[in-house]
Amino acid sequence: MTTSPTTSAGPSPLPTCALPDSPLAKAAAGLDACVHCGFCLPACPTYVNLQDENDSPRGRLLLMRRLLDGELDVRDPDVGTHMDRCLGCRACETACPSGVPYGQLLEATRATTRVARPVPLVARVVLGVFQREMLLSLVLVGARVLRATRLPDWLARVLPARLAFPFAMLASTTPARLPQASAHDRVLHRVRVRASQARRTVVRLDGCVMRGLFAHTNAATTRVLSATAHTVRSAPGQGCCGALHAHAGDLDAARDMARRNIAAFERVPDALIAVNSAGCGAMLKEYGHLLHDDPAWHARAEAVASRVRDVSELLADRLLPAAREASPAAPTARDSAHGAASSPPVRIAYDPPCHLMHAQRITREPQAVLSAIPGVELVPLVDADQCCGSAGIYNLVEPDTSDAVLAPKLRHVADARVEWLVSGNPGCLMQLGAGLMRSGSSTRAVHPIDLLDHALQAAPAERVGEPDLA
Amino acid sequence: MITAGLADALRSIVGPRWVKQRPAELTAYDSDALPGYRATPSFVVLPASRDEVIAVVRLLAQHGVPFVPRGAGTGLSGGALANDAVIIGLNRLTRIHAIDAGNRIAHVEPGVVNAVLQREVAPFGLQYAPDPSSQSACTIGGNVAENAGGPHCLKYGVTLNHVAAVTVCLPNGELVQFGDPASERDGYDLCGLFIGSEGCFGIATDVWVRLLPVAPAVRTLLADFPSLTDAARAVSAIIATGIVPAALEMMDQATIRAVEASIYAAGYPTDVAAVLLAEVDGLEAGLDADARTIERCCREAGARDVRIARTDGDRARLWQGRKKAFGALGRIAPHLVVQDAVVPRTRLPDVLETIAAIGARHGVAVCNVFHAGDGNIHPNISYDASDHAQAERVHAAMSEIMQACIDAGGTITGEHGVGLDKLGYMDALFTEPSLAAMCAVREVFDPDRRANPGKVVPVHACREWGGRR
Repeated sequence: MTTSPTTSAGPSPLPTCALPDSPLAKAAAGLDACVHCGFCLPACPTYVNLQDENDSPRGRLLLMRRLLDGELDVRDPDVGTHMDRCLGCRACETACPSGVPYGQLLEATRATTRVARPVPLVARVVLGVFQREMLLSLVLVGARVLRATRLPDWLARVLPARLAFPFAMLASTTPARLPQASAHDRVLHRVRVRASQARRTVVRLDGCVMRGLFAHTNAATTRVLSATAHTVRSAPGQGCCGALHAHAGDLDAARDMARRNIAAFERVPDALIAVNSAGCGAMLKEYGHLLHDDPAWHARAEAVASRVRDVSELLADRLLPAAREASPAAPTARDSAHGAASSPPVRIAYDPPCHLMHAQRITREPQAVLSAIPGVELVPLVDADQCCGSAGIYNLVEPDTSDAVLAPKLRHVADARVEWLVSGNPGCLMQLGAGLMRSGSSTRAVHPIDLLDHALQAAPAERVGEPDLA
Repeated sequence: MITAGLADALRSIVGPRWVKQRPAELTAYDSDALPGYRATPSFVVLPASRDEVIAVVRLLAQHGVPFVPRGAGTGLSGGALANDAVIIGLNRLTRIHAIDAGNRIAHVEPGVVNAVLQREVAPFGLQYAPDPSSQSACTIGGNVAENAGGPHCLKYGVTLNHVAAVTVCLPNGELVQFGDPASERDGYDLCGLFIGSEGCFGIATDVWVRLLPVAPAVRTLLADFPSLTDAARAVSAIIATGIVPAALEMMDQATIRAVEASIYAAGYPTDVAAVLLAEVDGLEAGLDADARTIERCCREAGARDVRIARTDGDRARLWQGRKKAFGALGRIAPHLVVQDAVVPRTRLPDVLETIAAIGARHGVAVCNVFHAGDGNIHPNISYDASDHAQAERVHAAMSEIMQACIDAGGTITGEHGVGLDKLGYMDALFTEPSLAAMCAVREVFDPDRRANPGKVVPVHACREWGGRR
């Protein structure tokens, strides 16, 4: 047996690095933490759905190691296939006891292999557009016009699946028509905001897709923040965060975009940066790492990154849980006395964006925001911690795998029998929205801030004077 | 013989996508969770059903090709490594055919993940007792092959005690059933013989597992100690009272610190030499008394503090921290040797002292995280393999540690299996006739020695290919 060593425990003499100075070589220390225990396997949506260890985090980490050792070539098509198939959801990071920085390793690997293996055409086009501010604005205007014609709704139904999906994604960004509460419910169901909270100054990340297709959510974010003792200021000059480019391994483009945003946010010093898109938030928080090799920018990047907050982080300590009826089905005596029964609560489920839950490790705060929304019942969603298959532009580049990952998600949503599926990331909202639309479901995807804003629009918040209930 | 025709024939059985042959595709399958070992399989075949498994095994039998069954590759003895053999991955056989809550039995395929089975039977108020630390990822088939244990096996027993029957595809492709899902069978306990056979007797295609009601009440205690020896004395004291804890686990400071630095941080005190995690379960009545007795034993043995988990969440965190400890050891150094020895419980204090002395003499840091109640210890050594002198010292220390465990009346594996890693210790533990008897048993199931070749029993004992590795 040539099985390596039994006489000297551990791997045989470490080979010299085959890819010196590559992004992967610079990130290689992260690989050392992996003891290949396999605890990442059940967390990985591609392993779970494709059932092949080549499509598992441990399998990909082994591929990275062999690239560095020179046993596999950066042009090896199998390496490319399995690296491309990774969603980058980073669910393996929240399963990994050893703290392997998988997301960074993946980006470094893609940056290393893309030299030999150019990214697919679809990805090149999309990334190219997002890199050019003018062109992006033009495309987004075009998309909004197209959306307004309602043509995408029709195309999403009549075209074959592969062609229909992008139109379904676009159609699903149409601002949701949220239910009108009765006058009675408006009185009963008020958002409860903690009084006597110190006013904070924030600046909103406008984003690219958020600005173009979720302008309503951006506006809602400003309103919700204002209603919770935040002064919202603007930071002109900001643009796309560069996450799509970083995930695809185009680290240079991502760095350029990061520098522009850092400069923009430096113009509003001391303000926290409010982000309503989980993917962008994760990217902004990692600007320090992205620019760690750039002495002129590294400290500035760290400083801006330290100011970034998901909008749920800003809201969690300002909101109180909404009053819930003891038994939604049976009107209480007090309701009867008022002569009106309150409506049954609207069933909602929360699908955490991977870049909130796994990349930013934020789980408690979104729950706090959802519990503050009156008139809703939060229904547990099976395997909510699994990716929906959106993953930036993954659903356009790897549609087969994306479908395979989305399918179980749609089944679980159907089982939950909810009216609204809540998620705080534009990619997830479009993926889930399109999937639900195409499957004929009546469930709609919505941003949590839209739901909260809707409640605040229906009736002004009740200011509760409790100093601290935590 | 491995020929091009064989690959095509395999593809025609399972479909082209499920036969892996190119170097990059074999990479993920060239190791399991045992650090430091690597072996490249000839092919990897991933069948989707029992029928496909049988067809694959028959085809390999016709060609005289050896094979290695693999579940999730979480084993810690190298049992799923294949050198010049075909890996048959069972991870696609994930159906739970039936959960019979009345008879407390579940019929599952071998690729069902242990934690998934736990999740599926929970709504019936039932549990599958064996809970190996890798349960979030490992498969029932792998558990059967390794006779897996886990923290709660102290009270509930290991996999052997919880499997009623298995359907096995023998290495010649013949399908047989061992045991009976409905009742005890007379005659030899072939099901018992199969469990723990480490893939050398064939492939389990169906497993009927016994389910137990979830205990109505539970108390989980965390005691911390100024020395490992004190903690080990507490273990013996607890067992001596006659209480059978559901689990009794120990972690030393190095392990605690690795866990507390990880995403599974459980709030273990990082300034102590060791913690003992003790659990009692059963009927509510009497549990508090048991918990108090355990607390007293700990304090008398020198515990600084003993606390009890207040909530289910608190309890779950304590267990998650313990169960993910092995993975967390990757934080200490890039490489790791994992061991799995069993010593008589009463010898724990002096064996732990001996291990510490061996580590100190060789200048290596030993981390201990183990099932103290069973005397099943896991001395692990983290190191950097690029330092060759250090690697040599690590190996020398580990050999001495294993010998010390054997000298203390212990054995070389409690739950990880012999696999490849512990093959070298078999001679120290068994006499020539004992090893020959094992070979004779294997002969019955696998006369051609094609099922997981080169594992468990040293080849010279079987007078097969001759010579020690």
